[in-house]
Amino acid sequence: MNDLEAKAARQASVVYTVLSLAITFIFLVITWVDGNTYTAVARVGGMVWVFILSMIVFMPIVIPVVKKRIMG
Amino acid sequence: MSETIRNEHLAQVSLPVQGMSCAACVAKVEKTLETMTGVQEVHVNLLSGKAAVTYESNQAGVPQMVKMIQDIGYEVPEEEVLLTVRGMSCAACVAKVEKAVKGMPGVTLVVVNLPAESAKVKFYPGAVDKTRIKKEIQALGYEVSEKVTGQEALDREKEARQKELRFQTRNMWIAWPLAILVMIGMFRDMWIFPYFVPEFLGNVYVLWALTTPIAFIPGWQFFKHSWNGLKRGATDMNLLYATGIGAAYIIATINTFWPDAGFGGRGAAFFESAALLTAFIVLGRYLEALTRGRTSEAIRNLMSLQAKTARVIRNGEEVEIAADEVEIGDIVIVRPGESIPVDGEVTDGYSAVDEAMITGESMPVEKRAGSQVTGATINKTGSFKFRATRVGSETALAQIIKMVEDAQASKAPIQKLADFVAGHFIAGVHVLALIVFFFWFFIGYASFFSPASQFILSPYNLAEVGVFGFALLLSVTTLIISCPCALGLATPSAIMAGTGKGAENGILFKGADAVEASSKLNAVVFDKTGTLTKGEPSVTDVYATEGFIREDVLRLAAITEKPSEHPLGEAIVRGAKEEGLSVGDTDDFEAIPGHGVRAIYQGQTILLGNRRLMQQQNIDIGNLSKKMEQLEEEGKTAMLMAIDNKAAGIIAVADILKENAKVAVERLQQMGVQVAMITGDNRRTAEAIARQVGIKTVLAEVLPQDKAAEVIKLQEKGLNVAMVGDGINDAPALAQANVGIAIGSGTDVAKETGDIILIKDDIRDVVGAIEIGRATMRKIKQNLVWAFVYNITGIPLAAGILYPFTGLLVSPELASFFMAMSSVSVTMNTLLLKRYQPSFRRDQMKTSMHPTPQPQTAR
Repeated sequence: MNDLEAKAARQASVVYTVLSLAITFIFLVITWVDGNTYTAVARVGGMVWVFILSMIVFMPIVIPVVKKRIMG
Repeated sequence: MSETIRNEHLAQVSLPVQGMSCAACVAKVEKTLETMTGVQEVHVNLLSGKAAVTYESNQAGVPQMVKMIQDIGYEVPEEEVLLTVRGMSCAACVAKVEKAVKGMPGVTLVVVNLPAESAKVKFYPGAVDKTRIKKEIQALGYEVSEKVTGQEALDREKEARQKELRFQTRNMWIAWPLAILVMIGMFRDMWIFPYFVPEFLGNVYVLWALTTPIAFIPGWQFFKHSWNGLKRGATDMNLLYATGIGAAYIIATINTFWPDAGFGGRGAAFFESAALLTAFIVLGRYLEALTRGRTSEAIRNLMSLQAKTARVIRNGEEVEIAADEVEIGDIVIVRPGESIPVDGEVTDGYSAVDEAMITGESMPVEKRAGSQVTGATINKTGSFKFRATRVGSETALAQIIKMVEDAQASKAPIQKLADFVAGHFIAGVHVLALIVFFFWFFIGYASFFSPASQFILSPYNLAEVGVFGFALLLSVTTLIISCPCALGLATPSAIMAGTGKGAENGILFKGADAVEASSKLNAVVFDKTGTLTKGEPSVTDVYATEGFIREDVLRLAAITEKPSEHPLGEAIVRGAKEEGLSVGDTDDFEAIPGHGVRAIYQGQTILLGNRRLMQQQNIDIGNLSKKMEQLEEEGKTAMLMAIDNKAAGIIAVADILKENAKVAVERLQQMGVQVAMITGDNRRTAEAIARQVGIKTVLAEVLPQDKAAEVIKLQEKGLNVAMVGDGINDAPALAQANVGIAIGSGTDVAKETGDIILIKDDIRDVVGAIEIGRATMRKIKQNLVWAFVYNITGIPLAAGILYPFTGLLVSPELASFFMAMSSVSVTMNTLLLKRYQPSFRRDQMKTSMHPTPQPQTAR
């Protein structure tokens, strides 16, 4: 992996992780405000699952975009 | 040669990629390569396992491409060739050869051994080939030949398939017995199981111990491949499996070891979900490995025809050598029952040769000195010698294999939709899984959950499942059922089977688009001369006046025309000889330009020509005039004959219809295809031929350069037009037509233009091509409908659409079973195409129930 590729990979990882965390945070907020009560396990388990799925969704979208922008 | 320089830097390679299993793998490889700097275009074909890459050679290279592909979890197999290099004398020669070969793009390793006079070269096929390597060494001044036979490729392909099959068989042996034990253990308390299932099998720790190897041995391939792809920003089907298996296994493990963690406790330890999910996915992989290779059987069958050895005469002695060491000009000896090793021309001997494997023609063809023989055909009766004229990649068989391989590597336009859907599916499915999770977590569980909930076809109760476990189950099931494997296989598998079926019958489709276009044809334009007709005049009628005998008229006409070099004269001589008449020599001969000929034979003065000749000689032709007009109406060229100033008869000559032309035209019309004929001939002759063959639309007096314009006119009427003609002379019209069909090319297929090449000179193959095209497209449509219906109905069911009304859910293992069955059913449906035969072939098979084999005349 050359320097440009490594830079692109680093930048992409920041972007897709932040986006995934944002979706996870939205999930967490909804668990507080939707009026139902959830156990901590349901909340944490849900956050983990939402984070995993979000990462899977964002990684293939973000990596090529960032790579293209940096490497041309 | 796979690397084609289009401009200074633009190059193309076709790299083999191993390990792809679905359309998403295709998208993953395409996407990965497209991100490379300098790569302009990437086309990956799942079934042929090849990635065609167009790239700027100054910015990208084969090694980087290979590395990218390997990084996402696939293999680019290297090929190895062992060469004999003669003429090297020192270490410098070794270094020279090594340096030259190493400098070639795609070569990864060169080891030259001076004492052994050998060179071992490893390279990526598609980037460079053996021929180029050999040429490179030859250019240095050394003699080089290959030590391996053509069979190697076949063996390697077989080996790769068997390796995959062995791997999935091992996985099956691990996954299924354990999964069945897990299932029995999970349901131990139900029905009659308590009476004979030991108690320990229902223990959650035992179940965990049984499930863990399933998830991590047969299931490991999915985790490995999906991670390799994901870190490069590419996703595939493996990710769906990995998330599904992983989620089911982790929840079951948490509920086993930490039952109070709130995931539903030990009552919600879905070990059978993780175990059966893996087992069904592995079953799908196993069945795919078992069946997928069969769609490309045609190529393997063709390759297996290649003879391994040849007996040639070298230095006056008969020696046996490898077939690919035969050189042009070698005299090859073939004995009865042997396969002919290369193409050539018979120099000595007589035999009948079975050419069915190349031309589809079931009758053996007679061969004698001067006849052409084709490599891979089987010598039936006698022995003969022939001079090799085409060897290696130039042989008819090699050309046909290349053409079929190229066709199978191409994509049909109908595949674009499936590719688009499959390519964007994985991300879409994960978004959907997220939505499903959100819905059932925040809305669905509170609104619809009932403790009496059950999985479809399962007595398992979901009473103890909490909100997270419930939403997760539905989310995982959605992921599993959405796998678009069937969608990815639908088109290419049918194209492979269809093009293979064509090759079996001597019909070569140049690409998948030709298969699709041929299925849509509703008009066929035949070139007349050489296509519908034999292209050379023949005697059609001999009429004798009172006092003369028919045979005498023909014999004397032939004698008169014998010194003439006119095609009509040659036809008469040939006609007389075919009837067994003796054609002697004239005593005197004179050609009368624009009128005919005059000859003296055994004291008789014979005149043969047109009306003006008879008028000039004051010969009364009586009622022959009427007969002549009638023949001319039929498009024939009629010649009057007079013997000693007395009208003796008429000889009519015409270009006659090919055998089966009428049958083929009738069949096309029955299929709803409009048939037209195009020719440069005058209208009267053209219409006469058209009448005989049953064609109503005649495009006569069309100059060769205007034929394409006539095709355009038909296309403007909304017709999808096929032009059938000579692949070389009719090239513009063939190119203009929706499908250009070059007929009767013989075995030199590489020279031909057109989208479909018919090896035999049989018009019925035009019907066969359309029938195969239609059958293939029918199969593709059936496959696509099934694949779309499966996904469209499966996804809502898995997402729980029925749950509010029925309380029933699709379990992850049932989803994986459906998923496996969808791709297997598509492949099985495609395999039915192997049994398909074009109508004329079916007719031939019926009539050959009691064959009376008679060799055909030599070509």
